Amino acid sequence: MSPSSRATVTPKLKSLRVRELTKRFADAAAVRGFDLEVSGGEFISLLGPSGCGKTTTLNCVAGLLEPDEGAIEIDGRDITPFPPERRGFGMVFQNYALFPHLDVSRNVGFGLEVRGIAHSEIGRRVARALELVQLGGLAKRYPAQLSGGQQQRVALARAIVTEPPLILMDEPLSNLDAKLRLEMRLEIRRLHQSLGLTTLYVTHDQEEALSLADRVVLMREGVVEQAGTPEELYAQPRSLYVANFLGYRNLVPVEVGEIRGDTVSVAANGFLFTGTRRGTLAEGGAAVATIRPKDVQVVAAGSPGCIAAAIELAEFVGDGFELSADAGSGQRFIARTTDRWAVGDHVALRLPPERLLVFPSEVR
Amino acid sequence: MSAPAARREAVDSPPAPTRRRRRLDPALLFIAPAVALVLALFVYPFVYGLILSFQPYGEHEADGALGSYLAFFGDPRERLSIWNTLRLAVPATVIDVGLALPLAYRLRRPVPGQRVITALFVIPLTLGTVLIAEGMLQFFGPAGWVNKTLIAFGLVQQPVQFLHNYLGTLISLLISDFPAVFLLLLGYASSIDPALDRAARVLGASWWQRTWRVTLPMLAPGIAVAAALSFVATFSVFPSAVLVGNPAGETRVIAFAAWQAAYERYDYSEGSAIAIVMGAIELALVGAALSLRAGGYRRMRTEGAR
Repeated sequence: MSPSSRATVTPKLKSLRVRELTKRFADAAAVRGFDLEVSGGEFISLLGPSGCGKTTTLNCVAGLLEPDEGAIEIDGRDITPFPPERRGFGMVFQNYALFPHLDVSRNVGFGLEVRGIAHSEIGRRVARALELVQLGGLAKRYPAQLSGGQQQRVALARAIVTEPPLILMDEPLSNLDAKLRLEMRLEIRRLHQSLGLTTLYVTHDQEEALSLADRVVLMREGVVEQAGTPEELYAQPRSLYVANFLGYRNLVPVEVGEIRGDTVSVAANGFLFTGTRRGTLAEGGAAVATIRPKDVQVVAAGSPGCIAAAIELAEFVGDGFELSADAGSGQRFIARTTDRWAVGDHVALRLPPERLLVFPSEVR
Repeated sequence: MSAPAARREAVDSPPAPTRRRRRLDPALLFIAPAVALVLALFVYPFVYGLILSFQPYGEHEADGALGSYLAFFGDPRERLSIWNTLRLAVPATVIDVGLALPLAYRLRRPVPGQRVITALFVIPLTLGTVLIAEGMLQFFGPAGWVNKTLIAFGLVQQPVQFLHNYLGTLISLLISDFPAVFLLLLGYASSIDPALDRAARVLGASWWQRTWRVTLPMLAPGIAVAAALSFVATFSVFPSAVLVGNPAGETRVIAFAAWQAAYERYDYSEGSAIAIVMGAIELALVGAALSLRAGGYRRMRTEGAR
């Protein structure tokens, strides 16, 4: 079921192991006790908001930062003391970092040139790499003469031309517009599969992480909050933080009522509803109930077992509408529906118990 | 003038492509004071001097329009002043650029105490050549701190003669010229994206390979400009050649020769001729330095700015 199982090429890497990685800046720890095991051919996403330590982790793996504690191992060999130039990884930077004084072919061939590879072979491999990223005709252009998407492709070609065991990508798509981003996302996944690459991909975009990766590592304040397949994270967020990051945009502070197994009844602002328990809850304690906009059902006013609300905003979002509904006492719900509702309509909101997750209030 | 307006006009009167040129942008008037200043302070004296240089005076009058030039090039002592100046300007430029380049590259990113360090390097800029020369007379004198230190450490037995010779003038030029070179290179160095160095490292480039293949090519335009400016500044050396040099001998520079012709012999024509020769040499070397910037890097900067 993992998309990498369809890879046709044997990956060059057997395993990458990041062991108890800690990196401090000044006195604050940017990464604390980060652990990760990657097997060859996997596509791993490090996901999290800015400042969560994902780029620091990537730079430690690249060798651009020296970890304070912990080790990086490749195929069982500790490479922590090696500088980046001796690790032989490929890396794609957020701003591409193309050499502005070299043309496209020299940019792509840079890693081969510094390795002292024969001129004729460099030419052959550069041409092949440019074909792979569909830039065959632009070999003699300079980076400043290329569009953002083309520069991105050059950066990709430069990273893969040395056939590295591991490719590191630091938010490679964040400078592209939405359409190009989708296009390049497919391109990256395609290259990953067809070349049998092992990829560590840093992003703050949950959609990007979920769609690209075989496994997602969600980070928060320097530690791993949850790691798993995209399906696992999406369906079973372990904490409110993960849930919120993965699209549970409705957050309702509630008081815990009766707990029966995994089902819990909660109360907020005079509403009573039932949800699914996540984590340890105490009856009478404070908790947060959360649900995705697309799981909120908007039905006719007065329906039983529902929360009465009034439509406040309605945004057309292509395949439907995104509604903001005011349920009184300052509580708002965002709902995604295909039905057309008008601003001011009185409606009822149904929150399916199996889709409404109840987490302990965060004390952090 | 907005682009659509220009296009509309072109459609209305297609056979008059020259019409646009007549409509002068009124904003251009703002440069009028600057143009007037340049005309009054640069173009007029230059043209005046140029004409004067072709009107020989006194004994050279008989040699025709080129009399003053012939007098300068015909006299070995006068000719030597070109060599004397080059002998100062070229080493001063090379040493200053050579020292400023690694420093500027090192200080391109904020490091602790950077502001203090930068300020220290820049102070000579505020002093002026005469003040530097005054300070040097004390500092580098036979009983100055430099000689005292050298003797204390047993490096020399007798005080070294730093002043009133070639060395004195060279040191003075190095000090007064360094700040401009350093600041210029610092500007170029700090505009280089630090991600380029990291990208080169990850791609396997050693420190030497990164320096030769990335850093220096990226800095080349800055080096050319800094060297050109430094050369012009040092080639027109005058006060320090007199105050801490030996203007009767080894530091009889071309500016001094021009000054002697004009104000000791009152031969304004030859003074002007020497000044024109000086300008021509500067122009030739600056042109050579700036043409080194040609090639891929310039292409990337101009065509890329679309």
